[in-house]
Amino acid sequence: MTMRRTAGWATPALLVLTNLTAVTFADESVVNSKHDLSARGPGPIRAVQEGRVCIFCHTPHNAAPQTPLWNRANPRTYYRIYESSTTDARIDQPYGPSKMCLSCHDGSMALGNVLSRPVTHPIVMTARTIPPGMADLTNDLSDDHPIGFRYDRALSNIDRQIRPPEVVTRDLPLGVHSEVHCTTCHDPHNDELGDFLRISDQMSAICVACHDMKGWMHSGHATSGKRTTGRTVDPQERLKYATVSDNGCLTCHKIHSAPHRERLLRFEREEDNCLNCHSGAIAGFNIASDIYKRSGHDGRFRTGVHDPAEIPFTMRRHVECVDCHNPHAARHNPIGTVRSTFGQTVKGPNLNASGVTITGRETDDAKFLYEICFKCHGDSVSRPRIRTSRQVTQTNTRLEFQVSNPSFHPVAGPRRNSTSVSLIPPLRIGSIITCTDCHNSDNARSARGSGANGPHGSIFEPLLVRNYETDDFTTESAQAYALCYGCHSQDSIINNESFSLHSRHIVDARTPCSVCHDSHGIYRGQGNSVNHSNLINFDLSVVMPADTPSGRRVEYVDTGTLSGNCTMTCHGLTHINFPYANTARGGTPSRVRSFSLGVNR
Amino acid sequence: MMKPTRVTACFLFFTLMIIGGWAWGGLEGSKHDFSNKDWSGGDLCSACHSAESDKPAAAPLWEENADLNRTFGMPLTQSKAAGPGTNVCLRCHDGTIARDTISGAEGGRFVNRENPGLFGTGHGTGDHPVGVDYPQFDRDYRPVTSVTAAGTVQLPDGKVECNSCHDPHNMSGEEYMLVTSNARSALCLTCHKK
Repeated sequence: MTMRRTAGWATPALLVLTNLTAVTFADESVVNSKHDLSARGPGPIRAVQEGRVCIFCHTPHNAAPQTPLWNRANPRTYYRIYESSTTDARIDQPYGPSKMCLSCHDGSMALGNVLSRPVTHPIVMTARTIPPGMADLTNDLSDDHPIGFRYDRALSNIDRQIRPPEVVTRDLPLGVHSEVHCTTCHDPHNDELGDFLRISDQMSAICVACHDMKGWMHSGHATSGKRTTGRTVDPQERLKYATVSDNGCLTCHKIHSAPHRERLLRFEREEDNCLNCHSGAIAGFNIASDIYKRSGHDGRFRTGVHDPAEIPFTMRRHVECVDCHNPHAARHNPIGTVRSTFGQTVKGPNLNASGVTITGRETDDAKFLYEICFKCHGDSVSRPRIRTSRQVTQTNTRLEFQVSNPSFHPVAGPRRNSTSVSLIPPLRIGSIITCTDCHNSDNARSARGSGANGPHGSIFEPLLVRNYETDDFTTESAQAYALCYGCHSQDSIINNESFSLHSRHIVDARTPCSVCHDSHGIYRGQGNSVNHSNLINFDLSVVMPADTPSGRRVEYVDTGTLSGNCTMTCHGLTHINFPYANTARGGTPSRVRSFSLGVNR
Repeated sequence: MMKPTRVTACFLFFTLMIIGGWAWGGLEGSKHDFSNKDWSGGDLCSACHSAESDKPAAAPLWEENADLNRTFGMPLTQSKAAGPGTNVCLRCHDGTIARDTISGAEGGRFVNRENPGLFGTGHGTGDHPVGVDYPQFDRDYRPVTSVTAAGTVQLPDGKVECNSCHDPHNMSGEEYMLVTSNARSALCLTCHKK
């Protein structure tokens, strides 16, 4: 009885004594962090018996020549290093402190193998090496943020999207020669912020300490409060924070073990990185449903072709979201439901995208929307093939829209003609339109739809905002030529206010607009203002040559305002120098013959 | 016979613990117990201490081999400023001086290269710095008052010496003759704020 009572008192007393001698430290200590590999460490990977914490990396005596008193052998692994077409740094094999980290984190060397013990008797651990997973970087470092490169003024002078090293906070220490190492971002002794980070990655604070992406701070992605919790952004990893802006860079990028190695993206297929949110899951508009339409800029078209460093003129044919959008700078569309004729300069979603100017020069920062289109639809050897066989063949839209052309739709600049009678206000002579006035998603908000603005995809080919029939013998209706009638009044056209025989051709003969008109324009190097004014460039699948004394010809001749004559065979009718004039609108008086007369010789 | 009560039971327990604690450590039987060696004079103390005083013996060869700095690498370059708490240890542990020179017997027993007790030769960065001022204004280190508060770790003249961490008399009985237990690296973290 007495002995039991004694024991009953002694045990708690012993516990109290033990607790008093135990050293307790706050969260910012390596003790009780994941790097505490001692037998009482918190993680699943720890020693079986060893009670010391520092000993796995440091020893006070007979350490490796490497500071600080390093207790591990350096791995002799050859690492596959990060490569990117857009990096200006020379990335070497990891060295210095990075090698120390890799002595465990490349997953090849035994955790308990320390210099202070014989190789034959390593510290016995619950796991021999770091098991595969997030902490195992493997010897393939090409999917990890680069280390082992000099971050100096020379680098920041070349790469304008990183800050000069002098302004980077001293909380992120560089190596002795100003190199980036693992220890630049990570403090192996302090896991207070998670992932042993030196600065919080909330709102990507740690990333933007060095990276200065143009337009990022005010971009939609940096400021969006859309919630990412409860939604699958990356099936392989739960995002750390609740909103897009808090996750920042990490919403799309993965700093270690990124599936898309180059540029460290979360998804291997380029478009998946965008559509994962922009499919109605998190972002407001469902772009995925747009690009999958019959005529769409479908990012699935090719994978692995797009490269930010590509040269537009020689690149292989492809389309990705980032060809038109710069996700670091893109903002919300300020236009909304307003027609995009409101302005021709690049707006929110396309800010800081690259392009090709009307003069054919590359630019990193497109000022006008058409400059972005010209990258692929201009001089590029990969531009789409022709759809319609015409008198003058030109597939280079940059040339088609030159303001010095005999005729063109006013995209790159206003037209100088004196008449344009069919325009619906507020359009008038001198107005400028954009590519997206015609080429746009059929449900775009600017076309009174409910979807996103922009040429993502349409049920009307070729990616037209409204229906546009080009088949011969199409019955005229507001629906058939809805695209044209959006700007050119159907009443004006049918009532022959411009071309005096419009009604005869379109309504009676059921000839579509596209048979006579080439909507983009006629390049001055191929056409002239006599034969190709008023966007006349005949579709040779409908318009046949006419036999004339001077040979077989298809020809339009402009003889003045709203007057001219035609030579060709169309719908079985032959015109030879067949004249027309609209006298009511001030056209030059000339002989007008009825179309019903048939063959004119 | 007094009937054991709760109070006496606790008293007995702590007394036993304290006595037991003393019994665990001590010079006798430790690696610094050279009393059974023929060169040591047969007692515990004279291997290191002269008979005349309890101060460390002035070894005859000490002054002639005073260029200890030569063999010390970077952290020990300040060892000119090192106190007795370091220099006395390195008489034996730098491996250049035979440890039995103290007693005047035949030399030749060195702390040799295979012995983990050899420091400071060749690769100077391989050992914790000694004879250096404690970096009291470095935010990676704890304040001096907190280091010495427990009384186990000493900073003689504000410097880190061998005897900051080691007790050559092995009073604590800890492995490596540490002044206190290094479980959970508590001894390291006494100074290092990691």
